[in-house]
Amino acid sequence: MQRSTRWNTIVAAAIFIILEVAACGLINRTSTLQNSWINRLTHRMMVFTWGFGDNIRNYFSLSKANDRLAQENFELSRELDYYRNLYPEERARAVDGSDNPDFRYIPATIVKISSNTQHNYIILNKGYADGVEPHSGIITPDGVVGIIDAVDAHYSYGLTIMNTKISVSARVGSNGVVASLVWNGITSNGALLKNIPLHYEVAAGDTICTSGISEVLPGDIPLGTVCEVYTVDGVVNEASVDLFQDLKALRYVTIVSNPVKDEIVGLEEKEDRI
Amino acid sequence: MRHLNSIIIVVILLVAQVLICNYFNLSQFVMLTFLPVIILCMPVNTGTIRVLILSFLMGIAVDFFADGILGMTAAALLPVALLRKYIISLVFGEEVFARSENITMRRQGPFKMNIGIVLSTALFLLVYLHLDDAGLRPFWFNLARFTASLAASSLVSLFIAALITDEERTKWR
Repeated sequence: MQRSTRWNTIVAAAIFIILEVAACGLINRTSTLQNSWINRLTHRMMVFTWGFGDNIRNYFSLSKANDRLAQENFELSRELDYYRNLYPEERARAVDGSDNPDFRYIPATIVKISSNTQHNYIILNKGYADGVEPHSGIITPDGVVGIIDAVDAHYSYGLTIMNTKISVSARVGSNGVVASLVWNGITSNGALLKNIPLHYEVAAGDTICTSGISEVLPGDIPLGTVCEVYTVDGVVNEASVDLFQDLKALRYVTIVSNPVKDEIVGLEEKEDRI
Repeated sequence: MRHLNSIIIVVILLVAQVLICNYFNLSQFVMLTFLPVIILCMPVNTGTIRVLILSFLMGIAVDFFADGILGMTAAALLPVALLRKYIISLVFGEEVFARSENITMRRQGPFKMNIGIVLSTALFLLVYLHLDDAGLRPFWFNLARFTASLAASSLVSLFIAALITDEERTKWR
């Protein structure tokens, strides 16, 4: 009798959760206001859940990470010394950051990254309290990871390049044609360079970099190499690209934001109105 | 026959709730509802699962016809349905279930009835107003809205409870 009561309670609780989720789903679809609020709550919950697990995992892998960082630091110092000796006049410019004054860089750690759907996302441990703004780029030394979509106080939510909604403005080589780079929808390090006009020559082995013509990402970040080029419908060329950065093997990223982005967007809007 | 009467009464109350939502907007601080009392006054031996499903359907129906945000009333009614048995045990005592007697104003008395109504209405309003607010309005506004809505809805619900649990009317039938 007691077991049957307990069983009834469990079933009732399960039905309650199912119906409540259904009701929230309906609210989510019906109202934009409630939709954004529910999304914000969901993001916070995900951040809390995954952040907690990640903190525990990090705690136990601290010594390994320290060793790796120390080794990396040592190699970078040697490399820096080498270049300092090679180009002494460039040293001052590199130290004050005048090479790329338009962008601000914020290092961040990945709290969660998804890779098993067509709309993959990433959650980072830096938010607006750290200076992160929506529509900032997420990069690594090996390429572009994604774009920040929503920002909370201490966390930010972004769409990765493994998302069918994202495209990155890319250039073949440093002076070649500019085209859109999108995920190939299959592998975590595969992409497609689309809509290349036929009169531009792109060959296998060419390096793809960010074009720098968008206000989100700085230019000349290496993205990958062209693997194969083929013509689509006899109208344009398309190239399959092997990305340098495999999104499945990622832990640390850099958020890059353009402080004059609003000014550029404002200018575009003003031009649109004219 | 008794079931049919109960269904007719519930339908009439739902229509009344839809009319109130559509035409009687007293103030932005007052949200008048008596749906929780319908849930509370359902026969005590009705299983929680059945009450949950009925609440969901009632909530969806009210939202649909009242031109509100679909799912909001349902989402607020479900916790009332889930905790209905606990509210009844807490306010009216365990013996209500042992005797399988329905909750009526005459048996339970207006005082206990009022406590039950206030508890279930407060639960409903907490969820409903929280969802409706979507994190936009200040706390004082929500508190004032909650207090005013709870007072108004409890008064109306007490009257409705007296009406739908009228034993004389049932006996006469």
